[in-house]
Amino acid sequence: MPDFAPPPPPPTRLRDEVAAAFAGRSPLVGALCGAGLVLALAAVGHADMAVAGVAAGALALFGGLLSRGRPALVHAPGAERGEPAARPAPADPFEFALESLPDPVLIVTGGEVDDLASRRIGFANAAARELLRIGREGGLLVSALRRPEVLEAVDEALFGRVETEVAFESGGAQPRWQRLRARPLPGPPPTALVVLHDETELRRNERTRADFLANASHELRTPLASLSGFIETLRGHARDDPAARERFLGIMAVQADRMARLIDDLLSLSRIELNEHVPPSGRVDLALAVADVLDALAPQVAESGAKVEVKAPPPGQAVIAGERDQVVQVAQNLVDNALKYSPPGGLVTVEVLTDLDREAAAAARPGPRALAEGGGRMSLAAPDWGDAERYALLRVSDQGPGIDREHLPRLAERFYRVEGQKSGARSGTGLGLAIVKHVVNRHRGGLTVESAPGRGAAFSVYFPAAPARKLETVRELAPDPRLETKLS
Amino acid sequence: MTEHTLRFFGEELNQLKAEVARMGGLAEAQVADAVEAVSRRDVPLAQAVIERDVKLDALQRDIERKVMRLIALRQPVAHDLRRAVAAMKLTWSLERVGDLAKNIAKRTLVVSEAEPITPLTRSIERMGRLVEVRLKDALDAYTAGDLDHAMNVWANDEEVDEHYNSLFRELLTYMMSDPRMIGACAHLLFIGKNLERIGDHATLIAEMLHYELKGEVSGERPKWSGVDGGVSAAEG
Ligand SMILES: Nc1ncnc2c1ncn2[C@@H]1O[C@H](COP(=O)(O)OP(=O)(O)OP(=O)(O)O)[C@@H](O)[C@H]1O
Ligand SMILES: [Mg+2]
Repeated sequence: MPDFAPPPPPPTRLRDEVAAAFAGRSPLVGALCGAGLVLALAAVGHADMAVAGVAAGALALFGGLLSRGRPALVHAPGAERGEPAARPAPADPFEFALESLPDPVLIVTGGEVDDLASRRIGFANAAARELLRIGREGGLLVSALRRPEVLEAVDEALFGRVETEVAFESGGAQPRWQRLRARPLPGPPPTALVVLHDETELRRNERTRADFLANASHELRTPLASLSGFIETLRGHARDDPAARERFLGIMAVQADRMARLIDDLLSLSRIELNEHVPPSGRVDLALAVADVLDALAPQVAESGAKVEVKAPPPGQAVIAGERDQVVQVAQNLVDNALKYSPPGGLVTVEVLTDLDREAAAAARPGPRALAEGGGRMSLAAPDWGDAERYALLRVSDQGPGIDREHLPRLAERFYRVEGQKSGARSGTGLGLAIVKHVVNRHRGGLTVESAPGRGAAFSVYFPAAPARKLETVRELAPDPRLETKLS
Repeated sequence: MTEHTLRFFGEELNQLKAEVARMGGLAEAQVADAVEAVSRRDVPLAQAVIERDVKLDALQRDIERKVMRLIALRQPVAHDLRRAVAAMKLTWSLERVGDLAKNIAKRTLVVSEAEPITPLTRSIERMGRLVEVRLKDALDAYTAGDLDHAMNVWANDEEVDEHYNSLFRELLTYMMSDPRMIGACAHLLFIGKNLERIGDHATLIAEMLHYELKGEVSGERPKWSGVDGGVSAAEG
């Protein structure tokens, strides 16, 4: 027997009204129905069924309301945005069911057809409140959803009394595909049930697969053509020339190596893309991850002749919510680039900063590199407004050739390489920063680059800090004066 | 004023805000579709954008008329007056945003007849997405009355310029290397310029919220490229 059968509270709010209505009829039946509904919905993943189930629940909820002869869902003036989740669990089982559905659910009421402000949110479940950043009840519909096709669909359900469905892409830094279904509920006043379902992953999978094939075939063609060419030559006139054979085999080995790297990068990019909308679970200590990466890159450090300086807080302070392998890959790609483009003896600085707010992490104020002639700073990825409170940041700066500002917007594009740049012995595939960007997006973090030709480059990534576990030290993002003077 | 008229007046202001929000939604959709149309060379979508622009104009006139009536009949003061004025100014911005989107769509019709220049359209798309996000953030801030959010939009408006400058240089390179591309590139350049100005309007919208809540504009703007003056060729 579930233990959420309601005690009889004073019927002050809508929730209590509903609970009282149910309690008046039969608390036992109410609780059982509620539990049954939750189970049924949990068992049936199919969206249409879920809508049907929700509709049944909402109908019951409204039945309860209306049987008390009260005008349903009056506007609650105090309804705030982003209401705290700390409310006591709703006492009514049907509301509880709606509340705990993973898909956003709204109950919308309307007044006059031509009075836009009369369309109000009578109820928004937890998922809807989080997605739309609205309060539980009383808000204007158009403050939550203002896309024209969405408003039309809801109007059709409210006033046309027909069921409607519309798919749309939400804007924002992290756009998502949503399918919205609206179906009429009994009134008066005109009432409709609105259920949103996220289809981002579905669509993304389709696109990723197509992109992967297109990219892979395009990029593999060049080394493959070169391999075939050498095979041809080895079979032909170079057949009896041991010196040429050795040389060609050497080139072929390099090409084969490049193909292998390409395939690795492409696979890892498409894996990350597929998961881009699955929030990462786990905690990663940014400082420890950086230390590991530097250990692993020791040979490259030696080869490049660069000096590496690390400035990181002690372990335990820069803990982010993230997936370790991916965060390591990010750090590795950035440090790898810095080494690759560093002159011998150049200084590569790796900094970890903690406990920054969004603004400090995105560092709205440009540093000296950005202000220099031809220099610039650009955000290549950024979290949505209000995604997280605190961030930890990793910044990798070098004293290499830097990047002209006109290239900055395209750096994280797949296969984009700045033309005419010397990158030492290892020519890249141009996927490193694309991977960084996708990992950062998945973690709801940001990526910023700052550079000026001849004055080096600085890449910063920031990730939401892991919740709980107190961070003791507050560190400032003030640029290190020593570093800046060295660069200028 | 009696209790009754006061309540009634609050509702009218709410209604105004709702209609501005709806108009904002429409303007956003116009921008998003225009950007989509350029990047996918989608001629029917571009035509749809051009046709839908009249809706925005109608909404604008309608809201403006309501604001005028409200000011005349109720003679609001202080915050209420600012709410009404901000709503009206917002519709001006949104109407301009719609015009700029329509202009992008018109140019798309021409550009789609030329050879595709993929890297350039990708740069336009990237800039377009950024501008869409800014517009969305500004409108989100306005509908929610979230001043912090608005100031964040307001303070970060150089980024669009960066994209525009980079696009500009990219375009120059193309035009110099192949004179046959000059025609298409010029249209893409104006599309970029239009996007930049849509970004400016997002800044302006954020500023309006500041005015509505605080009674003053938000001080020295980080930069100003002139929303209303500027290149008239970008409009045609
Ligand atoms: N620290 C840097 N200094 C100068 N240019 C850089 C730097 N980091 C990246 N770039 C430029 O950005 C381009 C893209 O970088 P990215 O890491 O995506 O590719 P890559 O290093 O060429 O190849 P790989 O896939 O092997 O990492 C590089 O080709 C280079 O032109
Ligand atoms: Mg790289």
